[in-house]
Amino acid sequence: MLQLHSVTKRYGDLVALNDVSLELARGEFFGLLGPNGAGKSTTMSLIAGLRAADSGTLTLDGQPLTAANSASRLSLGLVPQHIALYPELNAVENLRIFGELYGLRGPDLRARIDAALEAVQLADRRKDPVKNFSGGMQRRLNLVAALLHRPKLLLCDEPTVGVDPQSRNAIFEYLEQLNREGLTIIYSTHYMEEATRLCSRIGIIDHGKLHALGTLDELLLTLPFEEEVRFHATPATGLLASQLGAYGELTTVDGTHRFRPRADFKFSKLYALAESLELPARLFASQRPTLEAVFLHLTGRSLRE
Amino acid sequence: MRPVFVLVRKDLTNFLRNKAAVSLTFAIPFAMIYLFGQIFGINQKDSGPSGIPIAVVNASTNIAAAKLVDALKSENSLRIITETGPKEKRRPLTESDLRPMMQAAGADFRFAIVIPEDVISDTRLGLHLKFLSNPRNEIETQTVNGLLQKTIFSNVPELLGASLQARAKNFLGDASLNTFNRGIANAIAGAFGGNIDEILARIENGNFGFDQLTKAATTPGSNTGTAGADQKSAMADVFSRIVRIDTEQVVGAKVKSPMATALVGGWAIQFLLFALSASATSLFRERDAGIFQRLLAAPVTRAQILWSKFVYGVLLGLVQLLVLFFAAGLLFGIEILPHLPLLALTCVFAAAACTSFGMLLAAVSSSPEAASGLATFTIMLMSAIGGAWFPISFMPQFIQQFSKLTLVYWSMEGFSAVLWANQGFVQLLPILSILGGIAVVVMSLAVWRFNRGKIFG
Repeated sequence: MLQLHSVTKRYGDLVALNDVSLELARGEFFGLLGPNGAGKSTTMSLIAGLRAADSGTLTLDGQPLTAANSASRLSLGLVPQHIALYPELNAVENLRIFGELYGLRGPDLRARIDAALEAVQLADRRKDPVKNFSGGMQRRLNLVAALLHRPKLLLCDEPTVGVDPQSRNAIFEYLEQLNREGLTIIYSTHYMEEATRLCSRIGIIDHGKLHALGTLDELLLTLPFEEEVRFHATPATGLLASQLGAYGELTTVDGTHRFRPRADFKFSKLYALAESLELPARLFASQRPTLEAVFLHLTGRSLRE
Repeated sequence: MRPVFVLVRKDLTNFLRNKAAVSLTFAIPFAMIYLFGQIFGINQKDSGPSGIPIAVVNASTNIAAAKLVDALKSENSLRIITETGPKEKRRPLTESDLRPMMQAAGADFRFAIVIPEDVISDTRLGLHLKFLSNPRNEIETQTVNGLLQKTIFSNVPELLGASLQARAKNFLGDASLNTFNRGIANAIAGAFGGNIDEILARIENGNFGFDQLTKAATTPGSNTGTAGADQKSAMADVFSRIVRIDTEQVVGAKVKSPMATALVGGWAIQFLLFALSASATSLFRERDAGIFQRLLAAPVTRAQILWSKFVYGVLLGLVQLLVLFFAAGLLFGIEILPHLPLLALTCVFAAAACTSFGMLLAAVSSSPEAASGLATFTIMLMSAIGGAWFPISFMPQFIQQFSKLTLVYWSMEGFSAVLWANQGFVQLLPILSILGGIAVVVMSLAVWRFNRGKIFG
């Protein structure tokens, strides 16, 4: 459905996207995971036709995605990172404006607005000015404003920033429902939990480079370890951390040591070393690696950096 | 106390980082003070109006009338226009030229003096002049009246002498007058010395030395106290009785509320400029809210977004101007309804020019604060040099050259043409064309700048 081939985008000397290639099938829920400034929003804006790539090609169903191609834009819906609504207008007025810009009119538009407001539980607030909505309600309206024209591909650029857990969950459920109904979604985020929960396939992006691409399991399989051991970084654990470096990857993030042993490492060795340093076993927590570990492994830095 | 100091330091740091706030606080007032100083000629020896255009038609062959024209020309506050026509076919102005020229939109002059052929008549004693005016601006009109009185009355004695000669010629006949003049010249030469022929020539030209009377009355120190003042007043009274000036208001004579009609255009356009500049900065709010991203992801182009803002600005401007004019009609009795179609048309063109100006401000500014600061500065500047605050003839010549480059000037010309001069569509067309031209050029610049700027991310 969507193809990006060797796409590069520069802002002056900064390479925002570096030779990125990507292919999406219809009905996919694709996650673009990376920290702030990784190139997620640039990717989104190129697909949405807001900017032009310096090199490479982008196509949707074989048609080039460019600013000049307005037909392709009818197939796209963009949920911007910001709450791109008119705060003085009410929910219905906002949706009517965006619907009309996509050529919708009359009873059809009214029906779609009603359905959209029902879907995100805002029907009872339809006449309230958007500025009186909570952040979560605004986010939900921000989402459905991109869906009125029933796009084939929905671009969600970090749509849950600053949203309370309840609204976030409502957004997730709505997106999952849309995806089940056949909508293809690209979802950019720097929250690995969101990508893990929602996405059938994930691309890990950093410094404009697409480092890895695959399902969650495929990405986890790229790790040279199966488990990760975490323990607090204290003066007492410092010596152990220095010794463990010989047996695998050891990084320290936010005051926590993360030890990812090589495949042949026996965990009994870890506990023996700890015992010799009089460190109790309860200090250590072992868990299956997450997307964050994949990101750390691939880029050498944390998602939150 | 420490928290207070910390918070004060925070405010200072914030302030100094905000270039727009700093420039509004320091640079703009400094620039305005400098400009106002230039406008009022504070640092120049000759302050006051300069180069007020006045047409002068001299239909008299009398040498004293030519001297009066020369005296008017030597007055720095006035710019005397005596000719008309294209460069290669210049010809002297005639009285019949004056009225249509003064009634035309964007007229070159609003005042005219006619020295008629019978400025000095052999059938009556005294002088006859005509003064034609378009008193659109009260301050300017009063200034011109004062300047003309000063210049004419200081030349009256010589003209009065010529008048006396003409009257005597009619009464005595050529031969007797010559004998009489020669007798007077002989008597003067005998009593005070001097060349008889020179004295005779002066007498025949009407130069009886009356000018010494006015000099004595107007020279500082020549007369002091109440007596001196009384003498001046008496002299002015005498001259005003023997100089008959027929005045004619060529434009705006039927306007019901002249003062308000003359002022309302300038104020209206200033309010409009402020309102539309504020509205143009909404572009920044929409950019920051990501609305442009959403719009541009839809089948909407940048040009469509900008033109929608332009059309909105013109509509807002039209409504605001009409409301303002109707309010002025209700409060000050300005006649609006008879002029409504042309007034509305002028409002559309003025609003278009103002909107494009607001768009350009937003296009060249990096933030709403910067746009707001720049707007305050340029609106005040344009209003000042465009003539919304005081007549442009009060400004130095080099500033007057820029007046016609401002949309304030042309908007005021348009409103004045409709409300004051009661002009028709054809006469209004040149002004509308200029306003339209300003709108097109400035809007094109704005669109060009927007497409290269960061407003669309």
